[in-house]
Amino acid sequence: MTLRVLTVDDSRTILAMLHHTLSNAGFEVLQAEDGKQGLDVLLSHDVDVVITDINMPVMDGIEFIKNVRASGQYQSLPILILTTETSQDKRDQGKAAGGTGWIVKPFDPDKLISVIHRVVH
Amino acid sequence: MSDLDDFKATYFDECSELMNELEEQFAAIEAGERDADRLNAVFRAIHSIKGGAGAFGFSGLVGFAHAYETLLDYVRDGRVEMTDDVVSLCIRANDIVADHINAAQTGEQLDADYGMEEKQRFDAIARGQSGQSDDEWSGEIIEEFDIEFTPVRVELAVDKHEPEAAPARAAEPDTFDAPPMPIEPGHWEVRFTPYRQLYARANDPLLLFRELAALGEFNVRALLTDIPALSDFEPFGVYCSWEITLFAPDLTEAAIREVFEFVDGDCSIEIVSLGHAVPPPAIAAPDTPAAAAPKAPQHELMALTEDEVAPTPTVAPAAPSPAPVAEVPKADEPGLSFADLASEIVATAPPRPVPVSAPKPPAAPKPAAQAEGGEDGGNRSVGVQSIRVDLDKVDRVVNMVSELVITQSMLTQQMDENLRARYTELVRGLEVLAQTTRGLQDSVMAIRAQPVKSVFSRMPRLVRELATKTGKKIKLETIGENTEIDKTVIEQLSDPLTHMIRNSADHGIESPEKRKAMGKSEIGTIRLSAEQAGGNILIIVEDDGAGINREKVLQLARDKGLVAADMTPTDEQIDQLIFAPGFSTADAVSDISGRGVGMDVVLSNIKKIGGSVHVRSWTGKGSRMTLRLPLTLAVLDVMLVKVGESPYVLPLSSIVETMQCSGANFERVPSGGQVLQVRGEYVQVIDVAQRFSMHSTKQLDDRFVVLCESEGSQKVALVVDDIIGQQQVVIKSLEENFEQVDGIAGGTILGDGNVALIVDVQGLRATHIHQKAA
Repeated sequence: MTLRVLTVDDSRTILAMLHHTLSNAGFEVLQAEDGKQGLDVLLSHDVDVVITDINMPVMDGIEFIKNVRASGQYQSLPILILTTETSQDKRDQGKAAGGTGWIVKPFDPDKLISVIHRVVH
Repeated sequence: MSDLDDFKATYFDECSELMNELEEQFAAIEAGERDADRLNAVFRAIHSIKGGAGAFGFSGLVGFAHAYETLLDYVRDGRVEMTDDVVSLCIRANDIVADHINAAQTGEQLDADYGMEEKQRFDAIARGQSGQSDDEWSGEIIEEFDIEFTPVRVELAVDKHEPEAAPARAAEPDTFDAPPMPIEPGHWEVRFTPYRQLYARANDPLLLFRELAALGEFNVRALLTDIPALSDFEPFGVYCSWEITLFAPDLTEAAIREVFEFVDGDCSIEIVSLGHAVPPPAIAAPDTPAAAAPKAPQHELMALTEDEVAPTPTVAPAAPSPAPVAEVPKADEPGLSFADLASEIVATAPPRPVPVSAPKPPAAPKPAAQAEGGEDGGNRSVGVQSIRVDLDKVDRVVNMVSELVITQSMLTQQMDENLRARYTELVRGLEVLAQTTRGLQDSVMAIRAQPVKSVFSRMPRLVRELATKTGKKIKLETIGENTEIDKTVIEQLSDPLTHMIRNSADHGIESPEKRKAMGKSEIGTIRLSAEQAGGNILIIVEDDGAGINREKVLQLARDKGLVAADMTPTDEQIDQLIFAPGFSTADAVSDISGRGVGMDVVLSNIKKIGGSVHVRSWTGKGSRMTLRLPLTLAVLDVMLVKVGESPYVLPLSSIVETMQCSGANFERVPSGGQVLQVRGEYVQVIDVAQRFSMHSTKQLDDRFVVLCESEGSQKVALVVDDIIGQQQVVIKSLEENFEQVDGIAGGTILGDGNVALIVDVQGLRATHIHQKAA
């Protein structure tokens, strides 16, 4: 079964690179440019894993994750935080909000895929 | 183009948008709007630039953006105050970022220490205000990739818990099926006790096991002693923990810890090497990895144990599991079904993970709507709402549509009265075709249209710089920045606008003292506005300064031989002279206006895109420069006329009326020129045949007058031999294909294949004056 990934990032460059890497690896990719859009996509699509940026306009990644987790339906939806933060605190905030794991930008394509496989069946 | 090049192109595209955004934000920030939204937007812009730069390895840019971003982060959370100094520093930093982006794009090398000074100032400001010496402030990029984990082994004093733990394990023969474990490195025992939050964050022990199994020989055993009686079950309670043994020849503790990277803090993990000599109880302690799991210190575990949330990590002297507990029937709760299942998992691992399939917790029924953002539950897929298309592709469509328009108008022309009468169906079809092509053309042009905002937003900054340099007080007002124009026009607009604003700031606006003396406000105003007027866009730069110094301009023009000594041009003509080629008030021009180019460059740039410039000035009160730009570049509505044997076209937008010469009221003026009296107004007459050195065989009375209006309501009467009709033409640049010709704006190919030249009405008037002068 094709796994469906929702990518949420306000940077087109990152979205494009994620799309390329993920679709090459056989994932189906959905895109959203902020947390609000991300929630909209989740409402209308079944998604297997979410990759989200933290710093975004409208609704940032932390809020997005909290909103996702607030719904009982998405308790077990893996959410990976995409962040350039080299410091630990964003990552911790993301985790505290309910993030499953993280990917540090710039990401290595192979690692990206292996991290996804780490959190989805 | 490789994928990477594609991404880079996207990235640079995005960068230029982000830089525009920064420009806009800082214009407002400068004006005192320093609210959180703006600061966040600025932070995000720099953050995004840095993110992409990292992906492409633009290390100079990453380094600088990182330092800048860190400062912005401090500003954002209030640790650093956004003073005017900081704003200035940021604006300077934006330039440096832009230079870095530019260098990355062109492959140019910047000096290694480029921007170092600003970077150090970021550090200094942040240090001063934060009071913490964060090592991130070294400004270096910490090259940290995911999943790289270097455990530091710390020798601990024997913890008081350890003596209990070790014997506990020793006294637990049935925990492992093989007491005679070979004594060699690579054998590990892992005790894994998840806490409740591990599940809350959608981590799944099964996946961790799968990953561990991929490391080598793998054995897992569930510890079910803490599973309560069914009546005491909490739906989201966590009652299960596991013991895992692992073997692979070179397996390190770090590799095992890496598997648990995401759940660090959400569980208790104890990793014990079995490869070291059979541990006597007392020596077992150093191997317990309290050091590598700093987030789960022993006392915290104890606290949790008291809470009865998680089972005790030191899986107490496991008495033979009470049978009834092991028989716990499967329950539906997600937290529980796993525990049941886990007791059955004993996976022996080949290199590839066995697909240990576990029934997923039953999926909760999909709620009808979600609390947040639930206004649209339809099939809308985000990301498809807009698409990004290569400009080349759009241009190809534009060109084809343009040609289609021409073909259509040619077909219509071919229909004479005879044919019309005979083929009514065909005529109707052609009418529909005409309508559709027109609609198609408008839609295609709308794709290329962009708000002028992207150009206008760069101007506040320019004005600020100009004000600083000249010591004047200037305020910029922008109006109508959402007016849309063709993308190509917008791209060509930046230089002329910059030049016009420079001109206003430098020559127009007076010094504060002078303004005060004249009874004006000390602060000069430059107003930049955009509006649509028919098929044109008007961009107007107005200032309330001194106006054009006509005496000086005329003197200069005479000195340069642009105006004959005996000619007395009108005020309006003098104003217009500042656009004359070769006219530059170089001596009067400071380093601001003058970059070796005069306003004639503005004119030629604007002409290149089919526009015109007009200036009006009121002495002591200010001046206004109006750019008239075509809404679209490709297609022009024209009137086709004949001069001599050649077809010429006149832009329909500039034509006021046409008349026959026989009925026209020509008069001669003393200077030798001809004027036409139209409803009491005298209009300059230009014989197009004469002007272009063509030979007209017709008598004056058989010829026609086309009354045109150029900028500033100044009319001009063009005398042509014949009027053929109206149509649309595709503009072809004369400059690109031949060379620039005074009085001609471009060329076009007519339906019959003939080339017609497009008359530049305003240019014709201007060159007329110069000709007279010469």
